[in-house]
Amino acid sequence: MGALVHPIRNYLSTKISIAPLIVFRILFGGVMLAGIIRFAAKGWINELYIKPKFFFHYYGFEWVKPLGEPGMYFLFGIVGLAALFIMTGFLYQLSSIVFFLGFTYIELIDKSNYLNHYYFISVVSFLMVFLPAGKFFSIDTWIWPRKRVTEIPRWIISSLQLQLAFVYFFAGLAKLNYDWLMEAQPLRIWLYPHTNLPFIGSLMDELWVAYFFSWAGAIYDLSIPFLLSFKKTRLFAYSAVILFHVLTSILFPIGMFPFVMILATLIFFSEDFHLAVIRCLRKLFFIKNPVEPSHDVNPVTLSPRRVYRVVVAVFALHFLIQFLLPFRFLLYPGKLFWTEEGYRFSWRVMLMEKAGKAFFYIHDKDTGRKSEVMNDEYLTMNQEKMMSTQPDMILQYAHFLKENSLAAGIQNAEVTVESYVTLNGRGSRLFIDSTADLASMKEGFSHKYWVLPFGDN
Amino acid sequence: MRSIIFILIAGILFSGCKKKGGQSAVDSFDKAALLANTGENIILPAYERFRNSVDTLSQLQQNFISAPTEISLLELRTGFINSYKAYQWISTFEFGPADTEVARAHFNTFPCDTSEINTKIAAGNFNFSTIADLDTQGFPALDFLLYGKNGNISEIIGKFTIDANAGNRKLYLNAVVEDVWQRASAIYNAWNPSGGNYLQTFRSSTGNDVGSSLGLLVNQLNFDFEILKNARIGIPLGKKSMGVPLPDKCEALYSKQSLLLAQEHLKSVENIFLGRDKNGNNGIGFDDYLENIDAQYSSGSLSTAIKYRFETAKTKLAAITGTLDDAVINNPGPVDQAYAELQQLVVLLKVDMPSAMGVLITYQDNDGD
Repeated sequence: MGALVHPIRNYLSTKISIAPLIVFRILFGGVMLAGIIRFAAKGWINELYIKPKFFFHYYGFEWVKPLGEPGMYFLFGIVGLAALFIMTGFLYQLSSIVFFLGFTYIELIDKSNYLNHYYFISVVSFLMVFLPAGKFFSIDTWIWPRKRVTEIPRWIISSLQLQLAFVYFFAGLAKLNYDWLMEAQPLRIWLYPHTNLPFIGSLMDELWVAYFFSWAGAIYDLSIPFLLSFKKTRLFAYSAVILFHVLTSILFPIGMFPFVMILATLIFFSEDFHLAVIRCLRKLFFIKNPVEPSHDVNPVTLSPRRVYRVVVAVFALHFLIQFLLPFRFLLYPGKLFWTEEGYRFSWRVMLMEKAGKAFFYIHDKDTGRKSEVMNDEYLTMNQEKMMSTQPDMILQYAHFLKENSLAAGIQNAEVTVESYVTLNGRGSRLFIDSTADLASMKEGFSHKYWVLPFGDN
Repeated sequence: MRSIIFILIAGILFSGCKKKGGQSAVDSFDKAALLANTGENIILPAYERFRNSVDTLSQLQQNFISAPTEISLLELRTGFINSYKAYQWISTFEFGPADTEVARAHFNTFPCDTSEINTKIAAGNFNFSTIADLDTQGFPALDFLLYGKNGNISEIIGKFTIDANAGNRKLYLNAVVEDVWQRASAIYNAWNPSGGNYLQTFRSSTGNDVGSSLGLLVNQLNFDFEILKNARIGIPLGKKSMGVPLPDKCEALYSKQSLLLAQEHLKSVENIFLGRDKNGNNGIGFDDYLENIDAQYSSGSLSTAIKYRFETAKTKLAAITGTLDDAVINNPGPVDQAYAELQQLVVLLKVDMPSAMGVLITYQDNDGD
């Protein structure tokens, strides 16, 4: 063991230039700022956080509530400002904490807005809180030059690389399923409507293209972390990164995510590359350089204080959790894509075509009468769409309807749902046991036995 | 590692070569043809028929207010029903010009607020522009003005002749018809190739995202179809009121034409699905699209399943006896069956069809889950 651990430890504690971390910080802050502005400009703050009457909380995070109209705009303003401060390295320590907490709070308000790439941003911003990314080429070091650091232990960069590797690798692992590889689903459905694209349009309705994209996508996801890690394959790998993400951004409405990944994967490039980037930025913005951050000239090494032991421990725990989370679905019976028990937080991206429609019924047990719920009275179109295919959200909504009936004077209400869901092009079928009284079911992580098995009817 | 690179490179080369001599497993579906057929043979003619029917309505309305007699009233009522029927064939297309005119809300917010209409008549208030005015205008208001609460012809004529507010009532009737006519003309002109030519915009937007013609059509078709299921049938039947029927919520309550209009609407949506024009000529429609992509449902094709459901839904609607407001109270069984059938159609049209076609429902970013 020792023979193996020692070289790894030595490698990870090697001093390298801080430049990759600095470039990462600038790009991260910049893209986040752009993302917040885009979000606001599209009117989504109002659409997703002010307009809805009901919000799908995360289990255990019921206390996270929307803050009302001025509150939400204020929160987004603060998070945007924090992104700007991260980019420029101003009050970095505080800014990174504010960004992580603010962004994550927003994401926790409503489950129907869950996207893997928002989760990715929360995770990365969490790591960034612990990293000395404001200690070079920043407003902080311009104000307080003594805070300046030029060298850091390699594990800091490695941890960011590892996080990216996890995203790709688990996304690839998730693609190793029958539908994706053998049926080319859902790509078969998703590519077909793109026959109007220039150049590649005429290929989009060819079946073999769907198979090719499926297999190439899986191989790409599984291999790209390794290909990026080695100098020999890095340039090829990065070309593939650009090709892959540009293609997905043309084909699918996935917003900022492709650009986030194209920029984030630069972290795999060498110190020299990042030093050159910083030199370019200096020239571009006429920023004077007090000292060139290389190994030879006045290296200022981050002092390995005790606090860094804590950080290492936090990171080790973080990556252990990151490694285990995608496998938690194994604890549940049934088909993962159907029940979605243990589906989120696992980098399952663009993996299935799932759609549904749920008709809820309120039964008054005292009178024997029943009513159908018009979902659009309580949910936005996006919320209804998300809820219709996800059992935990169906349950939450049923509980809301129960409370609503109580308020309307129905003391003894049962809530049932007749819901139909289609998965990867297989015809819609009954999703939830339509006789189950969802009002009496508990929320939580235990198996939802009232989800009907896939393919039994 | 090398083998992976090799596979990737080989794959890329392969994808480049295959194209030239490549053979399609299926013939590419021509979305532009679907849009052209729907736009030229279904939507534009429907708007033209609607506009013409409202022209006639307007003429008959002039005749009536200049000489309110039993004959002119009966003619006007016929014109009203023809227009209301023609409306059922355009209600789906709430995008582009119709969206600009907020057509659905202005033409057909039902039930109308009869006491508010009487108040406005008494006050000489002919304003229809605010949200609060929506249930005092359009076809539901005409339904009330021309039929009254008991349909008595001499009573209606009296309201336009000897009633204290007869003058204002004529002006109100005129203003309602005028507003309908303005919107009907504006939408038709905006679609017309010799006018705003939205037809061309519609035909040329061939993507599958929310804002594309296909996305707009599929989303609005579903939105409109749920109005049929909920507002036209479900709510009067008591689906939203713990099983207590609400006959007063029927569309065309006073003229008792609820069922006729629901049937027209169902036929209209079926025609859109089939790509069939009013004369029965079957062009390229969603059924062809679904067959082309081999969309499956249960053990057969999705297209067949949907066609079958349309047939049974039409049969079930036709099986309701008497008027709808009467049936929901005295013979709700057949209404309930029709409702259940419409619900099954909602599932196929809203879940299976868009999913098979890869049509997006909302504007939000997604990562496919």
